[in-house]
Amino acid sequence: MMDFITVRGAHREYQTASALRGVDLEIAGGVWCSIVGPSGSGKSTLLNLLGGLDSPTKGQVFIDGVDLRTLSENEMARFRREKIGFIFQQSYLIPYLSSLDNVMLSQYFHSMTDSSEAEEALKRVGLGHRLHHRPSELSGGEQQRVTVARALINSPKILLADEPTGNLDRENTKLIMELLKRLHEEERFTIVLVTHDPFVSKWAERIVTMEDGRIIKDEPLY
Amino acid sequence: MTNRQWFFHVLKNSAAQRKGRVFVASASVAIAAAVVTAAIGLSLGIRQKLGGELKAYGANAIASKAEGYMDESLLSALSGVKAIESYSGQLYQAAAAGGVDAELMGIDLKRASGWKIKGSLPGEGETLLGVDIQAALRTEEGGTVVLSVDGREVPVRVSGFIETGGAEDRAVVMSLYDAQGLTGLTGKLSAVLIRAASDSLDETVRKVSALMPGVTVKTLRQVAYAEESFLSKVELLMALVTLVVVVASGISVSSTMGATVLERIKEIGLMKAIGGTKKMIGRLYLMEAALIGLAGGAAGYALGFASAQAVSMGAFKSYIAMPFYLVFLSLGLGLLIAVLASGFPLGPALRQSPSAILRGE
Repeated sequence: MMDFITVRGAHREYQTASALRGVDLEIAGGVWCSIVGPSGSGKSTLLNLLGGLDSPTKGQVFIDGVDLRTLSENEMARFRREKIGFIFQQSYLIPYLSSLDNVMLSQYFHSMTDSSEAEEALKRVGLGHRLHHRPSELSGGEQQRVTVARALINSPKILLADEPTGNLDRENTKLIMELLKRLHEEERFTIVLVTHDPFVSKWAERIVTMEDGRIIKDEPLY
Repeated sequence: MTNRQWFFHVLKNSAAQRKGRVFVASASVAIAAAVVTAAIGLSLGIRQKLGGELKAYGANAIASKAEGYMDESLLSALSGVKAIESYSGQLYQAAAAGGVDAELMGIDLKRASGWKIKGSLPGEGETLLGVDIQAALRTEEGGTVVLSVDGREVPVRVSGFIETGGAEDRAVVMSLYDAQGLTGLTGKLSAVLIRAASDSLDETVRKVSALMPGVTVKTLRQVAYAEESFLSKVELLMALVTLVVVVASGISVSSTMGATVLERIKEIGLMKAIGGTKKMIGRLYLMEAALIGLAGGAAGYALGFASAQAVSMGAFKSYIAMPFYLVFLSLGLGLLIAVLASGFPLGPALRQSPSAILRGE
């Protein structure tokens, strides 16, 4: 029986380098797993495979029993919008849209926009007073909180975060991590979070260490 | 807010964010639409106007009998032929003016408006002298010349002189009525000059031949050919200029929209990452392009209409009638240019994987 996330023998080759060299990984549903390692170890590449943003050159990725290789482009898009929320190091907020509109963007692609639901999502991340502000009017920490709201608005089963606090100071990093911890406890979605920051990785329940495209250590924290 | 309302809300915000680019793209489309509107409007109008201008230079078909004269009553049959714009009967007879050989021409003087006349059109009992005859006789305007026709000699007053570069330069020209009276050929004609629409000339000649048995109807090939040839060349030139402008506009819009797509590539990557399909994302960008195209098309129509009328006023001292369908053509063209030109840079962007876009490849 497979775990919620199962990766079998995943390889990812590029023209000039091999980013993944045979990765096997299993993550149960509802677990918070950090993936750590030096720059170029393949952490983000692995995360992209889990999110269907990229596909392995060899090997398989199963999410909730679905082999991502079997999905067409449109099926993959549907899979992402229904099951996965993304947080990136850069917020990638649409600059000409307000916080509310940026959250509603996710709703638009998922099914239908609902401004009251989007407003509630922003209140949950402490931005009830910043609904109509554009990204340029928000601090870095506030922008990342908008991306958290955007990522979770459709109640995904997995949250994939790639260096979500990479551009933030310690204070904002702590705020974001506390927010994720609270939401994770409330909703028990699976989190896979890539980071090179030991402070961030310790918030997880399990740490997977990568080096040179391979997993070299995999240990629960408690 | 419904999905549709949110969609247009996003479009509005997006356009407001890039007012400069939107303006440049709309202006490019407007220029193309204006040129097309003006070119088609002028082309249709020129054909109409030039037809009128060239009319002054003579008919483009002639009906005559190989021998003898035609009855003037045959003219009534021509009024039922739709393509005939005008016609007039003429009478020719060999004559002499002051001892100089000349051709007596009796014409409908109302049709002589395009001739170069020094003096005035002849009234009853008056005549115009061709410039060659004037030179031979050295007659002054208002003077008298003795016409010899069929053995009879009749003095007539010279009202003026005519120069056409053709047979009229060696003719004595008077009203058809006076010529018929002078020659004793009342109710008779030597020929009927016909002015018909040049694009259906041959068919008109066939119809007239059928209506006038025993009469030969020919096109005045040179006039007909020159007119059609000239009009066709003008239209071809306009078509080429229009094509060049439309292509240039498409390139300009494509370049502007390409820069926009490049600027917004991360947005596309994000939208794909959060589950947008190519169709969903494409719709957002192409609708923006469509609105730019429609705005450009509308502005282009207004500009083209005004330009065509300005040119017509300058060339023909009158306005031209422009068909209403040009509004829809202009809007449609604007839409087509904007959407196609945007589609070119957008297509490859949509085909990239989200991870490649977000990695910055």
